[in-house]
Amino acid sequence: MTSRQTAIPYLLILPSLVLAAAIIFWPVGSLIEIATNDVNRFGQLKGWNDFANFSALFANADFIQALWRTGLWTVLVVGGALLVSVPVALILNEDFYGRDIARVILMLPWAVSLTMTAVVWRWALNGESGMLNSALMGLGIISENVQWLASGDLAFAMQVLIGILVTVPFTTTIFLGGLSSIPQDLYEASALEGASRLQQFRHITLPLLKPFINIALVLNTIYVFNSFPIIWVTTQGGPANSTDILVTHLYKLGFRIGKLGEASAVSLIMLAILLIFTIIYVRLAMKEREA
Amino acid sequence: MSKLKRSIIAWALLSPLVVLSLFPFAVMFITAVKPQAEVLNPTWWPSEIRWRNFIDMWTVTNFGRALFNSLYTSLIATIGAILVSIPAAYALSRFRFRGRGAFNQFLLISQMLSPIVLVVGLFRLIAALGLVDNVPTVGVIYMAFNIAFTVWMLQSYFATIPKDLEEAAWMEGASRGQTLVKVFLPLVTPAIAVTAIFTFINAWNEFVIALTLLRRQESYTLPIQVFSLVAGRYTVEWHHVMAATLVATIPVAILFAWLQRYLVRGLSLGAVK
Repeated sequence: MTSRQTAIPYLLILPSLVLAAAIIFWPVGSLIEIATNDVNRFGQLKGWNDFANFSALFANADFIQALWRTGLWTVLVVGGALLVSVPVALILNEDFYGRDIARVILMLPWAVSLTMTAVVWRWALNGESGMLNSALMGLGIISENVQWLASGDLAFAMQVLIGILVTVPFTTTIFLGGLSSIPQDLYEASALEGASRLQQFRHITLPLLKPFINIALVLNTIYVFNSFPIIWVTTQGGPANSTDILVTHLYKLGFRIGKLGEASAVSLIMLAILLIFTIIYVRLAMKEREA
Repeated sequence: MSKLKRSIIAWALLSPLVVLSLFPFAVMFITAVKPQAEVLNPTWWPSEIRWRNFIDMWTVTNFGRALFNSLYTSLIATIGAILVSIPAAYALSRFRFRGRGAFNQFLLISQMLSPIVLVVGLFRLIAALGLVDNVPTVGVIYMAFNIAFTVWMLQSYFATIPKDLEEAAWMEGASRGQTLVKVFLPLVTPAIAVTAIFTFINAWNEFVIALTLLRRQESYTLPIQVFSLVAGRYTVEWHHVMAATLVATIPVAILFAWLQRYLVRGLSLGAVK
């Protein structure tokens, strides 16, 4: 009886364990195999090659560029989203007319798939007939059409802005959860002591919000680092690979050029970076739970 | 400060973000109802509203087929993920067992491994099994990638259900299985529904796996179908594309905006436990 009892939880978790392991962890093994072998474009392995795939990557200027741009992309989108979300959450935490409507509207960018959002922006940013140009011209902000996606720098800047826009709702929601956990009497007590709103923000709100900022920081870093559709749909990493980040570089290597070995090597490098982010997340989450 | 004054300031401060959030919807809607001749004109408002575009779009963009494929993959993913996650979440919230922590870590890592990072390895495996361009296979892959999320969501709700009710049922002589079906599951049905809807939306929106594994137009899901109408073409029928995007987006967006407050609880709490 007791041995049957102890087996129950294992039987209960078994189906999910097997399914996730087969579909998620088996490919990791496959990636390691491909990355460390000579491989042709059909995926046939031709033998161990002393990490030639990795050295080929680091000799490739496009990869190095994509690596740096991924760092820039992640920092700008995550940082931008945090900077926008703190004030937005503070405002939404106030009691004002139409707050529920404002919340729903501001959540909309999160509700639409990234692919669809990116398709819409690709059209809105169209240089000849896009609606952003016509809107800005109608408002008298620009006097001639801007080719938003034609040059790498401008296209990348627009992609970062789209990235920030779709990251704000999730981040704001986390902060709203954090704000609602701050006891109201702290503010009342400090107001009695004569603290200004700015002092309250600096000495009460910000310190108590910090664990939530940390969680949002790490989770967003993981999501944004992995984010593929915005860049792929708007420019496919172009023009001339000038908006490639690691994920789009990886996809091109694997499914356009057919260099499966190098694509797998990029995947493994990304996995290593993600593992570091995850460890940071687990640590923060544990600290949060103890506090 | 009066509430009215506060409201005006709040809306004024939020207005740039409100405009940016609504802008894509305005672009979708206005382009979708423009007469074809006006789509490439750089004007905002159409001279007349062409609802017919939606009907034309349905056949021109092969919308029905893509809709069916999206429903098919998303339903497989949702039903499958929920069915394997309920027992796992129940075990995590009701049993103390060795390896419980390890299983949580396993889920955390599987959540971290995003499809795009695994796509080369995944493609090789699926190709070896001869399942490229197979729609149900994509559904099963979505199922696997959603397990960590569904287990966390369900577990965080299950943990809030007091054990007393189940214990009372045991006292009355009900077996563990009977208690589970008659007492526990009815209590957690709302949680299961919410989790199922989010899993469905996740699968509905997925891009990279479908892009890689679905090769023929007949097997495309909606995101891939819409993307294929835009990418690498000289002439894009933007009014049809925007009509398709709008129809594919609105129902899911409403569902999501309505339910999103439930999501964060599961995401932020579940990951911690």
